[in-house]
Amino acid sequence: MLPDTTPVTPDAHTLALRLRFFRIDPGVLARLAALRPFAERTMSDIIDRFYEHLLSQPETRDYLDDPALVERLKRKQAAYFLGMFRGEIDLAYVQGRMKVGAVHAKLAVATQWYVGACTHYLQLIHEHLHRERASDEERRASFEAIERIMHFDVSLAIDAYIARHHESRLRHQEAIRELSTPVIRVHDRVLLLPLVGTIDSARAQRVMESVLVRIGEEHARVLLLDIAGVTVVDTQVADYLLKTTSAVRLLGAKTILTGISPQVARTVVELGVDLTSLYTRNTLSDGLDLALSLLDKQIRTIDQERV
Amino acid sequence: MTPGAHASSTERLQIEAEADVVVVRRRARELAIAQGFDAFAVAAITTAASELSRNVWCHGGGGHALLETVSDAGRVGLRLRFIDEGPGIADLELALRGGCSTGRSLGLGLSGSRRLVDAFHIETSPGEGTTIEVLKWARFPH
Amino acid sequence: MSSIPILRIRGHLLVPVQPDLSDEVVNRLQNDVLEAIAGERDRSGGLLLDISGLQIVDTYVARVLADTASMAALMGRRTVLCGMRPEIAATLVQMGYLLEGVCTALDVDDGLDLLGLPR
Repeated sequence: MLPDTTPVTPDAHTLALRLRFFRIDPGVLARLAALRPFAERTMSDIIDRFYEHLLSQPETRDYLDDPALVERLKRKQAAYFLGMFRGEIDLAYVQGRMKVGAVHAKLAVATQWYVGACTHYLQLIHEHLHRERASDEERRASFEAIERIMHFDVSLAIDAYIARHHESRLRHQEAIRELSTPVIRVHDRVLLLPLVGTIDSARAQRVMESVLVRIGEEHARVLLLDIAGVTVVDTQVADYLLKTTSAVRLLGAKTILTGISPQVARTVVELGVDLTSLYTRNTLSDGLDLALSLLDKQIRTIDQERV
Repeated sequence: MTPGAHASSTERLQIEAEADVVVVRRRARELAIAQGFDAFAVAAITTAASELSRNVWCHGGGGHALLETVSDAGRVGLRLRFIDEGPGIADLELALRGGCSTGRSLGLGLSGSRRLVDAFHIETSPGEGTTIEVLKWARFPH
Repeated sequence: MSSIPILRIRGHLLVPVQPDLSDEVVNRLQNDVLEAIAGERDRSGGLLLDISGLQIVDTYVARVLADTASMAALMGRRTVLCGMRPEIAATLVQMGYLLEGVCTALDVDDGLDLLGLPR
C-alpha cells in the first residue's frame, strides 16, 4: 500500500503564470464573487442532479455504493462548488483543489471519468444560468468566468494525478532495485552480497549504499562480494567494485571479492585493472573460509570419538 | 537555469570568510533534510555545498551563494548557485578533471562536487568571475 | 574558544570529533592532538579519532584528518579512524578521495581491538 501523497503545489510565481494563461484576471474573479447568490440558490439542485448522473453511469456508480457516503460527498461538493465563487484564488485554494485531485487519483478514478464529470457539472450550471434574468451578454460573460475557473481546477487535479503517478513509478523502480541487491548475513559479522546481472552506474551506487548501511546495522567486519553472476566485468564495473571496497574499508570493514572466473581474471589483467589491494578468491566457499580466518574463526570437522 | 525545475524559495548567503563556508553547508544540509533527502543525498549535497563555497572564498575572493528549493512533476530538489567575481578559472578542463590543486583545496573540489549532484553547470572566463550551479533531486528512502 | 577534548583510555588517546568542523577547528584539532602526543610520557599507545558524530566532511576536513593520522604515525602513534558514517564514506569515495593508508575501524571498540593493549 502506498502512503498518502501530497503533490507538489505551485508557488506564488507559477500560480500567477497559470492564472494569466487561463485568463483569470481580477475582473473574472469579481464576476465570480458577484455570482455567489446565484450559486447559493442553485447549488442543491445542481449537486443532486450531478450525483443522479454519476449514479446512472456504471463507470462511476461503483464508487458510490453507500448512500451515507453519497450524502457526505454531496456536502463536500457544496463546499467545493461555493469555493469557485469566493472571488479569490490563493495558494491555499490551489492546495485544496490539488488535494481533491489526489483523493480521486488515490481511489483510482480514471481521469476520463473525472474530466467527464466536470463537463457534466458545467452543463448543469449552464442550464441554470439560462434561467437567470440577465442580458445575453451578461450570461455569456458569467458562463465564461465559471468555465475558466472550472478548467483551472481540472488542470490542478490533473497535476495531482501526474504527481501521484510519478511517485508510484519511482517507488516501483525503487522496489525493483531493492530486490536486485539482497545483502545476506551469512555469519556473525559476515555479510554476503551476490551480484547478478548487469551493473550500471545507478545500480552500482545503490548497491554501495545498501551495503554500507547494512554493514553499519549488522556491525559487520567482512563483506563477501560474489561476482560469479555478473554478466560483464569491464573497466567500468571493476571501477565500481573498487569504489565499493574502498567505501567499505572507510567504514572499518574488509571486502573479499569472490566468484572470479578464469575469464574475469583474464579480462581484469588484460584491462590493466589493479585488484591486488583486495582480498580475492575463486569460489565463495574459499571466500567464506578467509572471512572466518579474518575473524579468528574456522570451520572444522567434529572429532567423532569425542562426541 | 535548470530546465523543468520551479523554484519555490531562494535564500542568499554571503561568502566572505571561512566561517561562511560552514554557514552555507549547514543551511544546505538543513534544507536537504527538510526536503526529505535520504542520508546519502544529504551528505552529497552538503559536501558539494562545502567544496563550492570554499571555492568562492579561496579562489573567487568572496561572493555569495543562492540556495533554492525546487520542484518539478512530483519530485523535489535543491538548487545551489555559487557566484564570485574573482579571477575566473583559466583551465576549466583541468579543474574539472580534478588535476588542479591549489592552496587549501585538494584539487578534487570541482570534479568531486560534479560527481555528487544530478546536474552541474559552470560559467567562467578569466577576469569575469565564476558561477557554478548544481542541482540535486530527493530520492526515495531505502 | 572551546578546547578539543582528548581522552585517555587504556593507554590510548581518544579524540571525539564534533558533528561539523570548521577549517579553524579541524586545524586546532590537528595541533592539539600532536601537542598531546608530544606531551605524553608513555608513547606506546595509539590514537583513536572517533568520527562517528561527524556529519559533514569535505575534502579539506578529510585531508586534515588523514594528515593528522600520518603525522601521529611519524611520532610513533598508530592511528585509527573510528566510526565513519556510511553516507560520509560513500561521498568521499564518489569524489575520488579514498584515504589510502589510513587505518579504519567500525567503532571505538573495534579500534581498541585493532590497537591491542599498549606494549
